[in-house]
Amino acid sequence: MSLDLGFWTLQALNALQLSMLLFLLSIGLTVIFGLMHFVNLAHGALYALGAYFAASAAAVGGYWAGFVLAPVAVAGVGVLLYSGLIQRMRKSGPMAQVLVTFGLIFALLDITRIVWGDLALGLEVPDLLAGRVALLGVEYPAYRLFIIALGLAIFGALAFALSRTQIGAMIRAGVDNDAMAACLGINVERLFFIVFCVGCALAGLAGAVAAPLLSVTPDMGLQILIPTLIVIVIGGLGSLKGAIAGSLIFGFVQTFGAVLAPQLASVLIYALLAAVLVIRPVGLFPAKG
Amino acid sequence: MFRHTPLRYGALVLLASAALFQAFTAEYFGLEILTEIVILAMLVIALDMVAGFGGMVSLCHGALLGVGAYGYAILSTKLGLTPVVAMAGAVAIAGAVAWVIGAICARSHGIYFIMATLAFGQMGYSYVFEAPLFGGDDGLGGIARLDLSLIGLDLNDGRSFALFSLGVLAAIYGVAVLILRSGLGRSLSGVMHNEQRMRALGLTVWRVKADVFGLSGLISGLAGVMAAQHVMFVSPGLLSWTVSGEALVVVILGGLGTLVGPLLGAAVFVLLKHEVGALTSYWHLVVGILLIAVVMSRANGIFGWIEARFGARIERRAADAVRDIDPREVKTDA
Amino acid sequence: MLETRNLDKSFGAVHVTRGVSLKLERGERRVILGPNGAGKTTLFNLLVGELTPDSGSVHLAGENVTALPVARRARQGLSRSYQKNTLFDGLTVEENLGLAAAIHTGHATTLRRDSLARPEVREIVAEVANQVNLMPYLHARVSEVSYGVRRQLEVGVALATRPLVLLMDEPTSGVGPEMAKGFHDLLNNLPRDLTLLIIEHDMDLAFDVADTITVLNYGEVVFDGLPEAARGSTLLKEIYLGSWEDA
Repeated sequence: MSLDLGFWTLQALNALQLSMLLFLLSIGLTVIFGLMHFVNLAHGALYALGAYFAASAAAVGGYWAGFVLAPVAVAGVGVLLYSGLIQRMRKSGPMAQVLVTFGLIFALLDITRIVWGDLALGLEVPDLLAGRVALLGVEYPAYRLFIIALGLAIFGALAFALSRTQIGAMIRAGVDNDAMAACLGINVERLFFIVFCVGCALAGLAGAVAAPLLSVTPDMGLQILIPTLIVIVIGGLGSLKGAIAGSLIFGFVQTFGAVLAPQLASVLIYALLAAVLVIRPVGLFPAKG
Repeated sequence: MFRHTPLRYGALVLLASAALFQAFTAEYFGLEILTEIVILAMLVIALDMVAGFGGMVSLCHGALLGVGAYGYAILSTKLGLTPVVAMAGAVAIAGAVAWVIGAICARSHGIYFIMATLAFGQMGYSYVFEAPLFGGDDGLGGIARLDLSLIGLDLNDGRSFALFSLGVLAAIYGVAVLILRSGLGRSLSGVMHNEQRMRALGLTVWRVKADVFGLSGLISGLAGVMAAQHVMFVSPGLLSWTVSGEALVVVILGGLGTLVGPLLGAAVFVLLKHEVGALTSYWHLVVGILLIAVVMSRANGIFGWIEARFGARIERRAADAVRDIDPREVKTDA
Repeated sequence: MLETRNLDKSFGAVHVTRGVSLKLERGERRVILGPNGAGKTTLFNLLVGELTPDSGSVHLAGENVTALPVARRARQGLSRSYQKNTLFDGLTVEENLGLAAAIHTGHATTLRRDSLARPEVREIVAEVANQVNLMPYLHARVSEVSYGVRRQLEVGVALATRPLVLLMDEPTSGVGPEMAKGFHDLLNNLPRDLTLLIIEHDMDLAFDVADTITVLNYGEVVFDGLPEAARGSTLLKEIYLGSWEDA
């Protein structure tokens, strides 16, 4: 029985780790949607870029160099994207913006191939986190615990920033009604820009922390895109609560589905998404009623 | 609501002539490309019907094509049905699946609709990928083409198959135009312009959406059957969301809601893919940049741009010529 | 023809309608008055089914329709126009009317020929276009006609479903006094057997058209009766005219 319990603890930790990775990705995407009303389909591509930047930097300066550099570099790419494309598309309506980012997926996919080649890159777990930790009666990789802790820390920081700081209040005002927020003297364009860059940085961070777990390949962005989109749609677009709830639901359904009903595992999450959309077409915790 | 303009007729005649010329003169490789274009054109007509005329931007049309392809493969190889019956069955299954998806997604709009259709598409993909009946990752082979020896056509010949596909595409185009110009098509345009008002006027909106989505699914299914017959092999990749995404790119590149534009888009897309693919392996970069350029130019795709640039002039000239013959027609279209 | 019993609706802590009971006879023309926020538009939304009441019921031609969705109620003869134009902007005036007429005649979902080409639909379109003075604009797009014409079309689209009961939400909202007078003639020319429920702020128009008047205040019916009685009522002056003149 104790073995059984350990097994389930392990699965729960795995689920939590997957959830936190998805949370890092979905939070940026969902807040960008809440403010700017478009879904940045290239978000997954930015995550892949983050992994590549981390792998390259780690080859020179070790894991932590990549960990710090990847979010910064991806935020830099975000600045370029925002000023080059997104800003010019502000008045073109959400569909056009979605399509532009759809085009970006294709372009960034090949750009990573051109720069880093087709072969998968690897990234070592840093020595500090290389071992296993005894926790709740199981031995669990320290690195995966680190991801869980990082995700929770960022969730806490964002929850604090959104609810207690001035910029958080501005973001909430912008999500609620951007025209009204602009009337109140909030520089909405600047707010968009900051949020977009922070979202990109978090995507880059997610790529950097995911890199040692997976192999870094050009299509890793495409592979993570669909789960991320499922997370934000189940959770409800635009809200922090939705992002964390959606991430946890996805992580646990996916992990436990694979254990309990391997035949149905991959269909299960899509069926869940379909069910949510039928029962609550705007997701569980949408930013707007 | 769709209507033909002189420019659209002109483009159709040009495209049809080019296709026929290619079908009669091209060698093996040219015929393969032509058939690929024609089958993609069937799928994008189905997608344009719902996305361009009903505002339902679907990311499950690749999966619907896959349902048609796998339906045909299973019905003809595993159940041993004759190709004609298997074709009809596969198309019917794809239509039914599409109707159900359309009915369920009818309440969702915008990005939620896209996501909901994506979810159903991926559900089908994962299921086909994992269920042993469908051959998993390996797919299913040994698929026979339709036997048209009764009318003297051997479809195992590439040229005959290309011509046959062209015939099917022409029929699909005609049916799509009839649907869009019917009472149902008229209501669909109303729903796209103002769904709330259509409901307040007494229309059961979800039924209209589901019906059109189902009809579009029939066409996608037929495209899938043709794809299965073309390569005589089906694999899960047919249902992947990237197929739907590519179809959407083609519709956008060609011109959303013009029906003729996506045909042109299909030709441009496949030709570019082969031309660029021969030069570099970075073909996606070209598509990506092209898509971004087209969307940022604010033109409605290639054909939309042509219409905006030349349509008005040609129409005016045509209207002058027609006025003496049928003044009423000109007035109602003005 | 149209009846409500004890309609209650609240959003959170705000009661927007409280125990509203109305009864309209066939052919009756009733005007609803009340200051902003009195719950007039909410009442309309409850009547047509765009909102569901917390309690109470709606009856159309003797049948309880409270549980029916918007479209079903509309097909049973309940039609409305909106305070803010809710038209098919990219389409022509004729197409706007035709879409509504097609639904009424049952041609909206057929796969056979275009509903707008059908004689029954064309007949209704022509008739309604005459009723609401849209004949000169039939082939213009909505985006090409003036605001006043759009207001007429807003009512015209609602009329083209050939309703038993027509709810009009401030038909003269935003139009000048000249146009408002035109609306008054338009309303007087509508068939006498059509039951009308009109939200109106223009007092002259209201008293002129109304057979009966209902006054709402804070979601409650505070007056229900003949226009003459309403005109003399101090209650009405206090809660409606009073606040109106202050404004």
